[in-house]
Amino acid sequence: MRRCLWGFLFIAFALAWSIAAEHNPRTERISGSAGDVLEDDPVGRLKVYVYELPSKYNKKILQKDPRCLSHMFAAEIFMHRFLLSSPVRTLNPEEADWFYTPIYATCDLTPNGLPLPFKSPRMVRSAIQLISSSWPYWNRTEGADHFFVVPHDFGACFHYQEEKAIERGILPILQHATLVQTFGQRNHVCLNEGSITIPPYAPPQKMQAHQIPPDTPRSIFVYFRGLFYDVNNDPEGGYYARGARAAVWENFKNNPLFDISTEHPTTYYEDMQRAIFCLCPLGWAPWSPRLVEAVVFGCIPVIIADDIVLPFADAIPWEEIGVFVAEEDVPKLDAILTSIPPEVILRKQRLLANPSMKRAMLFPQPAQPGDAFHQILNGLARKLPHQKSIYLKPGEKMLNWTAGPVGDLKPW
Amino acid sequence: MGSVERSKKKVQLWKKAIVHFSLCFVMGFFTGFAPTGKDSIFSSRVATENKSQISPQPVQTLNQSATAVHSSNVSRSLRAETPVPVPAKSKELESPKQVDTHEVIKLPDRRLIIVVTPTSTKDQFQGVLLRRLANTIKLVPQPLLWIVVEGKSDSNEVSEILRKTGIMYRHLVFKENFTDPEAEQNHQRNMALKHIEHHKLSGIVHFAGLSNVYDLDFFKELRQIEVFGTWPMALLSANKRKVVIEGPVCDSSQVIGWHLRKMNNHTDAETDAEPKPPIHISSFAFNSSILWDPERWGRPTSVQGTSQNSLKFVKQVVLEDETKLKGIPPEECSKIMLWRLRFPIGVVPRD
Amino acid sequence: MKLSALQQSYINRRSNSFRSSGPLDSSSDSAIKSPAAIFWLILHGLCCLISLVLGFRFSRLVFFFLFSTSSTNFYTSPFRSTAELAKTLDVHSVLSTNPVTNPDLLLLNKTATNSRVVVGRHGIRIRPWPHPNPIEVMKAHRIIQRVQKEQRLQFGVKDPRTVIVVTPTYVRTFQALHLTGVMHSLMLVPYDLVWIVVEAGGVSNETASLIAKSGLKTIHVGFNQRMLNSWDERNKLESKMRLRALRIIREKKLDGIVMFADDSNMHSMELFDEIQNVKWFGALSVGILANLVNTDEKTDQKKEEEENPRMPVQGPACNASNMLGGWHTFNTLPFAGKSAVYIDDRATVLPRKLEWSGFVLNSRLLWKDGGDKPEWIKDVDMLDGDIENPLGLIKDPSVVEPLGSCGRQVLLWWLRVEARADSKFPPRWIIDPPLEITVPSKRTPWPDAPPELPANEKPVMGIQEPIVKHSTKTRTSRSKRRSKRKHETRTDTQVSTRQSEQN
Repeated sequence: MRRCLWGFLFIAFALAWSIAAEHNPRTERISGSAGDVLEDDPVGRLKVYVYELPSKYNKKILQKDPRCLSHMFAAEIFMHRFLLSSPVRTLNPEEADWFYTPIYATCDLTPNGLPLPFKSPRMVRSAIQLISSSWPYWNRTEGADHFFVVPHDFGACFHYQEEKAIERGILPILQHATLVQTFGQRNHVCLNEGSITIPPYAPPQKMQAHQIPPDTPRSIFVYFRGLFYDVNNDPEGGYYARGARAAVWENFKNNPLFDISTEHPTTYYEDMQRAIFCLCPLGWAPWSPRLVEAVVFGCIPVIIADDIVLPFADAIPWEEIGVFVAEEDVPKLDAILTSIPPEVILRKQRLLANPSMKRAMLFPQPAQPGDAFHQILNGLARKLPHQKSIYLKPGEKMLNWTAGPVGDLKPW
Repeated sequence: MGSVERSKKKVQLWKKAIVHFSLCFVMGFFTGFAPTGKDSIFSSRVATENKSQISPQPVQTLNQSATAVHSSNVSRSLRAETPVPVPAKSKELESPKQVDTHEVIKLPDRRLIIVVTPTSTKDQFQGVLLRRLANTIKLVPQPLLWIVVEGKSDSNEVSEILRKTGIMYRHLVFKENFTDPEAEQNHQRNMALKHIEHHKLSGIVHFAGLSNVYDLDFFKELRQIEVFGTWPMALLSANKRKVVIEGPVCDSSQVIGWHLRKMNNHTDAETDAEPKPPIHISSFAFNSSILWDPERWGRPTSVQGTSQNSLKFVKQVVLEDETKLKGIPPEECSKIMLWRLRFPIGVVPRD
Repeated sequence: MKLSALQQSYINRRSNSFRSSGPLDSSSDSAIKSPAAIFWLILHGLCCLISLVLGFRFSRLVFFFLFSTSSTNFYTSPFRSTAELAKTLDVHSVLSTNPVTNPDLLLLNKTATNSRVVVGRHGIRIRPWPHPNPIEVMKAHRIIQRVQKEQRLQFGVKDPRTVIVVTPTYVRTFQALHLTGVMHSLMLVPYDLVWIVVEAGGVSNETASLIAKSGLKTIHVGFNQRMLNSWDERNKLESKMRLRALRIIREKKLDGIVMFADDSNMHSMELFDEIQNVKWFGALSVGILANLVNTDEKTDQKKEEEENPRMPVQGPACNASNMLGGWHTFNTLPFAGKSAVYIDDRATVLPRKLEWSGFVLNSRLLWKDGGDKPEWIKDVDMLDGDIENPLGLIKDPSVVEPLGSCGRQVLLWWLRVEARADSKFPPRWIIDPPLEITVPSKRTPWPDAPPELPANEKPVMGIQEPIVKHSTKTRTSRSKRRSKRKHETRTDTQVSTRQSEQN
């Protein structure tokens, strides 16, 4: 019997081994027509109705603090401006496929320029109350054909600390709506199924001004500028970036190939253009503007953020252009990067050089075909036509207006 | 067939099978020890190579034990609480390694050279001389890190020149203003040393002024330095007759004395306050670990705040311990491989 | 009957492969190769093979551990005991030989559908093995090289022509310094390159050993005249030497772009890309580093700085339509009466009206039967050898193609500095006999008790080799600031090189 067991174990092990070996090739999700999807023209494929809201929900807020135009979450403002003049806009709500409510929820900055979204829930609530009482369209679906731009750290959870954000969950009244957000973490309470993940806002003009000729030899192997420890908010360490950034520093500070530092040089953008790999580790949120910068500057993004949901992942072949490193593999980063065959690196660089990829990452003024605005519209268009089930029967109510923290229920 | 006989046969059969299996296993086991390809088992590179050949699991194990080992040393590090399996992604990335194993083995293992160059926009010929030095440095076999230190200025000439060289460099910029160029250069060198110290970069540090010209063999010799090294250099001046050669006098690679053009005229007090060795800053190199790991070289860590003036510290250390000082080239330090063009640099206001 | 029994056994074996006893028996008994027997044999062989592979793999693991852990020990944790080592090995073998029982893997299966990310505090993983790993470093450098090569292929010059470099030189104190600089630039050129070195006074070992280090294709020829001591004569001789090189190009029918690299030039690497654009005869701007005046003239120099803050440039000038309109020449006015006549002179060396180094030409112009070679080129053999600059090679100066964004881009520089003509240096820069010890060892070179002798009288200062004879007189020019002040009165004319040497 023992021998049998031995034999069985042996076979089982051999099997398991072969399975493990087969498990190796990454399951690639490449929409073969990635490039084509990026080139799609949304005009004619959807119509968007923009609600007229009192300016206290948008323009007045911006007047109070013009800094909102340049921070990472400025997409909510530029999206509004874009839609107002876009050919997909319709003035007839009856023919609209999507409804857009222009609220600048993130435009409430601390003196340091950090957005604090504490008032946002009340503001959003107040705006929805307004549109649901003035127009019939909200009540028709309770928001299922409405989209909201909520680019903040944890999207519609409206809190900058992950634990608090998870506790809060997505604002109850937004649960049916389609959210356009920068936050992306797979299977996270704050990320709805069907959300559209967008890149954070990075200043297009400024980046353009720092462009250097493409023949500049790439002489940095790995580049990173930014925090490794957030001592003020995370004195213990290990919370910030789930320890991944700290691990980058501790393992590679002494590696001459890793040009990593907390100091932000004036040649930051230029340096990215002469680097082969740019680290894009998570911070407090899984993404950072580095992702956009790396793509725009043709530096292969090394994405260190487990289960990140990347912007326009259905249109951009992230696996093809970037390198994914698990957070716990950070100590092996050098081995992982140096073992990529040069041909693969060159191919990634060629893909990154594709202008459609760069365009999709930016929110330029004025908008250009194929830019991030158009990708959002493409994403919305791909969700059409709406399923019949989203339309509620007369008198049917699904949303609970009184759900959520008591603080959120106060009038705005 | 009787059942006894049957079972006996069965047992025999099984025995046979097991013997076969174990024989094969042992065979495989020993073939594993056979050297792969041309390389020898005893070369350490093979060992490192194996690390990459084998699946990530062993590394993973190391990894976990690593956290345990280090959690005591490094205050910040914590024991990893979540031993999560290796995701397939990185595994996949590692697999292509096997493809170029043989090429990898050929890669030479060279010591890092850290070249430090202070530069100032006040220097009229900065751009030209920087290009010339860059051309030389570009020819030095890797790995080499070039640290260029410059005062903050509106001009991005230096950045542009450096960028086009394709050399792996770090361009450090400081804000402080200096009127005394010598103080400025010392500050620049200190900045570079601080960078090395902060990053714990490990290599041989050499200060290369913009008007230095090198024989490429110089860098080969530089890599042979273990702790400190020194060499003679020639100082050439325009329109003069005299060639000045300064540096160590050696018996093979042992420094037995110095040939310096002038003695030190400082009083004791001055020496203590600010020792100014007549040995030229470009005339010696040192192992950078002395900056961040002085204990390794038998020096107390607390030695007068190295962070204050690393340059001073290094100069002291280099000359205190002459036994560790290696003269290069090892043949009596008799070959000049470094020339320095001495000319008054343009507009630098001095005196 | 037998067949059915066999079939039965086959099915049996399939259902529970090893536990059934019958099949084994029958297969061993049966003389004929029944399918069952074949199956058994194959299975047996397969298992053998698997164990072979397993053994191989296992041994590699063991092998790896022996090495990696030992190196780890060496670098990071010298006090790790062998027991610990064994434990690691143990843990590992469990991992590798029985992954099914590995709880982590089970965990993976369970949590695969969920996000693996845990909110809260995480460990900061620090690896124990040495870093940076030298192998990884070299691999990374290889990747960088590959990427840069690809960039050159993609953006660089397509179908580059050979670069033929003409350099006149002669043995002197500054030769090593100058020629090494030029040589390094040439070594970096990513195109085919032929270097013609013409040496005044005949081929010398000194020069030969220097240029041999370049690894370039070199043609080293001697020129039967000695270099003379006046700048004017030197220029003339150098022109002749360059013509000599051009005749070599003609004889050997070298095909490519001819450029004139004097050993006192410095080059930007873009120059070598730019000259690939020349069709027949091109001109470039040369930056003149002439403000290299001696300290005697410091005040003048400062004044001049104010007047003319930019580096003077010599080269082609373009008109509005980007056609050659004229030439920028060096403004010699500030140097009137102060320029150097002899190489000894301590005055500024002025460039000639147009330097040779500012011109490039297609080597086919020089060929005897150039085929499509234009009319306007003179025959090199017909020239007497006293043309002042390459414009003397052509009949019509308007055909010159201005390069480098019409001369606006300066890609090479001219730095004429020489030691005095009678200056000596150790042959091939090998110090023999050894230098005299001025500061003995086992003492720091800056002794605690400073010698209080006026440096003038110290015979040991300076170089005592026979080749440099006047060392006793030359000293203290590089005194320290403080000491300097002390000896201010005594320091002679060689003041103020202090600054640069501290560089």
